[in-house]
Amino acid sequence: MSAVLTEEAAPVRAQLPDRGARAVLALARFEARKLLLTVPVVIAFVAYVAWIVWRTRSSWDGYPALQDVDRATQSMPMLVGLAVLLGAARAVVRSERHGTEHHFGVLVLRPWQRTAGHALSVAPAALLTAVCVAGQFGWEALKPGAVGHGSPAELAVGPLTVLGFGTLGVLLGRLTRSAFAAPLLVVVLLFVFVLGTGASEESGLSWLAPVVSVTGPDTLPSDLMGRPAAWHALYLAGAALCLAFLAMAFSGGRGAFVRTGLALSLAAAVTGGVLQARGVEPSPELTAARERASTHPDLRCTEHGGSTYCAFPEWGPRTGTWAGIVDRVQAVAGGAAHDQALVVRQRIDARYGPGTDTAIPASTERHRVTVGTAWGGNRIPEFSSAVAAVLVAGTEEAGSELCDGRMVTVMWLSLSWQDDPMGALRRVRLDDSVSGSAIVLSPTNPLSMTEGQTDVVRRLLENPPAGTGARVKKHWAELTAPGVTTAHVAEVLGVAKPEKADSCED
Amino acid sequence: MTSTVSASGLSLHYGRTRALDDVSLRLTPGVTGLLGPNGAGKTTLLRVLATAVPADRGAFTVLGHDPGTSRGRQEVRRRLGYLPQTPGFHPDFTAFEFVDYVAILKELADRRERHREVRRVLEEVDLADVRGRRIKKLSGGMRQRVALAAALVGDPGFLVLDEPTVGLDPEQRMRFRELIAGAGEGRTVLLSTHQTEDVAMLCHRVIVMADGAVRFEGTPAELTARAAGRVWSSTEKDPGAKAGWRTGTGSFRNVGDPPPGAEPAEPTLEDGYLLVLDDADTEVAA
Repeated sequence: MSAVLTEEAAPVRAQLPDRGARAVLALARFEARKLLLTVPVVIAFVAYVAWIVWRTRSSWDGYPALQDVDRATQSMPMLVGLAVLLGAARAVVRSERHGTEHHFGVLVLRPWQRTAGHALSVAPAALLTAVCVAGQFGWEALKPGAVGHGSPAELAVGPLTVLGFGTLGVLLGRLTRSAFAAPLLVVVLLFVFVLGTGASEESGLSWLAPVVSVTGPDTLPSDLMGRPAAWHALYLAGAALCLAFLAMAFSGGRGAFVRTGLALSLAAAVTGGVLQARGVEPSPELTAARERASTHPDLRCTEHGGSTYCAFPEWGPRTGTWAGIVDRVQAVAGGAAHDQALVVRQRIDARYGPGTDTAIPASTERHRVTVGTAWGGNRIPEFSSAVAAVLVAGTEEAGSELCDGRMVTVMWLSLSWQDDPMGALRRVRLDDSVSGSAIVLSPTNPLSMTEGQTDVVRRLLENPPAGTGARVKKHWAELTAPGVTTAHVAEVLGVAKPEKADSCED
Repeated sequence: MTSTVSASGLSLHYGRTRALDDVSLRLTPGVTGLLGPNGAGKTTLLRVLATAVPADRGAFTVLGHDPGTSRGRQEVRRRLGYLPQTPGFHPDFTAFEFVDYVAILKELADRRERHREVRRVLEEVDLADVRGRRIKKLSGGMRQRVALAAALVGDPGFLVLDEPTVGLDPEQRMRFRELIAGAGEGRTVLLSTHQTEDVAMLCHRVIVMADGAVRFEGTPAELTARAAGRVWSSTEKDPGAKAGWRTGTGSFRNVGDPPPGAEPAEPTLEDGYLLVLDDADTEVAA
């Protein structure tokens, strides 16, 4: 039945019109605000910032190498990413959960555009993560002891991880339309990435994980790192965008924008994935450079006092700090050692890459001291012990073989001037003890202390008799003579003899 | 009079069930009431006109735009305000946020203008004071007004309201009538309802549906006139009446074909509606 014959109205302009892209951005802004205020995201960011403050205050003992710092910014954003994943998935399924879909379905913004809004809404969380990463990195870079260079691609991993987890949440919400899928996935991801150790090996497959934290005990010069960080960043960015465009496609987006975006992002992810896998194996040029740096490094040498300090260019600013330690050790030495010109050379073994723990052999050249790439904390008494051993024994190798009373002199030179000599003694010994025999760490071969030597050194450091320093200088020849007993050294320095006889087999 | 919505031959089947059967209608600015029993096809018609579901056959235009094409559908949606039968809410959103969200989905992108518009519609539905309150803390009547505000935001030219007064107490319903009457000034409102009083008080035109088809389209007065001479009073219920019930005065009010000598009563819109439905039943049976 029909009724009312009437004249048709001409199309009229809708009031307050505005079109797709700007509305998607407005939706993204709305959803981003909601996302950033969700409890898991707030908790994650608070924990993240607290972790940055807690860690950065004392990280690397105040002497960071920025090529290590950049990678250290990558792990915690995973926590933020998981929270963003939860929040984004929850936002996507919100209209399903609360029965507004049949209403929103007839509004102007199409479902794929709404999905685009959700995908874009995770970008501010990624940007906030980038701010945190920049803050952490900047804080480290501003430390007076900072050296080296960070990689922008490594720094981008954290924010891109958040972006990727967020878009994964959007896709998950669109696919499952369930509020339980995201928490379940988060549990699985926590298990895989946090409890598991899957992404710790240098293989092509491990680089498919967002964060590949290959870390070794020693820092390499930044040009020898050999990590395919740029390709990894491309892979992460491509994967994040690909997930977003997939979510749009599953929401009905079939237009050129979605198809082109999906193709380009997929191409970026695949390209990055393939090239990062290839980049895991060092190139011949990199292998040669690492070999050269390990055997015949191109060091820059400067003189401080009478000694020469040779360092990789990035560590140039640190030579003054090393010289300060050498000066303090020589100040308490006697005889020719007091003014002995030393050559302090930085040595690394880069042949096996940044993730390998390699021992550097002791130098056999006279008056040559090795220093590593790390500094601060325990590295200071380790270095001062090496300097003292060379001053007493002549070479690092000879120092590592000391097995008589000279070891007492070495440790006195190394520790007596430190702010907390007993603390330094504890830290420089492998087992953190101040009694019994122990290995004493140094940049190359370790030294060793017998129980008796430890007793004498502890007595000297805890309660040094008046004039110990002067006695060391006065009796320098006696104290550094090969074969001198620990008991005799104790006697000369005015402390009780050890109860047990010296025995390097202890 | 200029029609803003024009439909012809709309049909829709859900499996073997005929939900809409060759529905043709024209809507003009003002409030048009849509009456019909449960299962008459009212909600289906509204969903088709709101572009929520496409019709199997037939066509319609809204303000000159054909929703049969993707572009046309978008244009219709830009001019549409829709209050579904059971509107959902995001309980953790405030009233303002919810309407703001709907406004964004209506492509109101400019934040300042949009917020001004949201404040306007919330004032229009008398919710300005509680706009910052979470929806889960609002009463049922307030939520319904939030849904109306969401339908009104963006000042749509065509407003589709599916039983907006269901579940409201009389005072809330009166308030809602005011709002709908206001909304009908200058725009086309299609109001689906079971409340014939709503239609009598609000609507300049009325459509009655039964079994998926339009059974009447005209003014409320014309619908009422359908019952002229077919309503009478009696002391006992007349067995020949289509419907009859005891009134507050104790006499019976009968609707149908009166017996000779019956005492005629003043017909109402509801009487006309009942007779249209009865005629429809007779037509279907025939």
